[in-house]
Amino acid sequence: MRDTTTMVFLGRFVPESFAEFMRHRAARLSLEASFGTIGPERIEVEVGGDEDLIDMFEMACSLGPIDCLVLDIYREAQLR
Amino acid sequence: MSFSAGWYAVAIAGGLEPGTSAGTRLFDKELVIWRDKDGASHAWEDRCPHRGMRLSFGFVRGNHIACLYHGWQFDEAGQCRYIPAHPKLDVPDTIKVARYPSVEAKGLIWVYSEMVAEAPVPAPEDGAATPVRSLYLERDPATVGFIIENGGAGPFEILSDSLFATNVEGAELLVALQPFTDDRTALHIVITSGDIAPAKIAVWAEELRAVLETVRPISSGDALLAERFAS
Repeated sequence: MRDTTTMVFLGRFVPESFAEFMRHRAARLSLEASFGTIGPERIEVEVGGDEDLIDMFEMACSLGPIDCLVLDIYREAQLR
Repeated sequence: MSFSAGWYAVAIAGGLEPGTSAGTRLFDKELVIWRDKDGASHAWEDRCPHRGMRLSFGFVRGNHIACLYHGWQFDEAGQCRYIPAHPKLDVPDTIKVARYPSVEAKGLIWVYSEMVAEAPVPAPEDGAATPVRSLYLERDPATVGFIIENGGAGPFEILSDSLFATNVEGAELLVALQPFTDDRTALHIVITSGDIAPAKIAVWAEELRAVLETVRPISSGDALLAERFAS
């Protein structure tokens, strides 16, 4: 089932590194991704595509690149 | 001596049975070679796109290969077709394994050394051949090739940088060199003509291995002198 959601990653980031990591994973999973805040402590991305693939994207990004540390992840619905 | 991009033998074809997979290396790049149930062989990057597990550790399921780690299955084209954790998922085309061009000819599996959709040079021609064995030498490919080309291991006809022919007791042999890693070399030997027991050639092959692992190549001007290490 198709879904669109905004994910918020909190942690300690090298912003360009994490953004590139997200771009690569989104492309691999055939997801549409549009980036919002890309900062050293907060990253926001809206992803659209199959919900299973969105779950995979979250799992992949929770590990992140070696120079970033993800401490928490929220989705838009959980923030409301 | 250096090797260029091209076709290299990576295994004796008959040694890869339907439904099996094996790992090998070409210029230190890790490859999985596997044969599906219909008999077609495949040479891919030895890495599942999911978590990087070696696919050579996986299982062939019909005409798919399944990763040992999470069971992701890939079809003959490298496309992921099934993810056990998401059985209803229509897997996107972007989840696939990188492949190398490969063919079977003269009893060997040949792989083009670059990851391209189509090799820019023709694949080796097929022909009758009886497989003998593969040797894995503890010596770098350049030195092994240098010794063979310069007569340090007996008379060989040089067909290319990595393919040599010789005659042993009336039998014509092909010896295909596989640059395995920077310091290891594989040789794949087949009989192309002549009536001789492969076991006899296997004994010759062991002697060839001993020579190629111990001969010291010495360049003197344009000439090569090969001498054994003093024991």
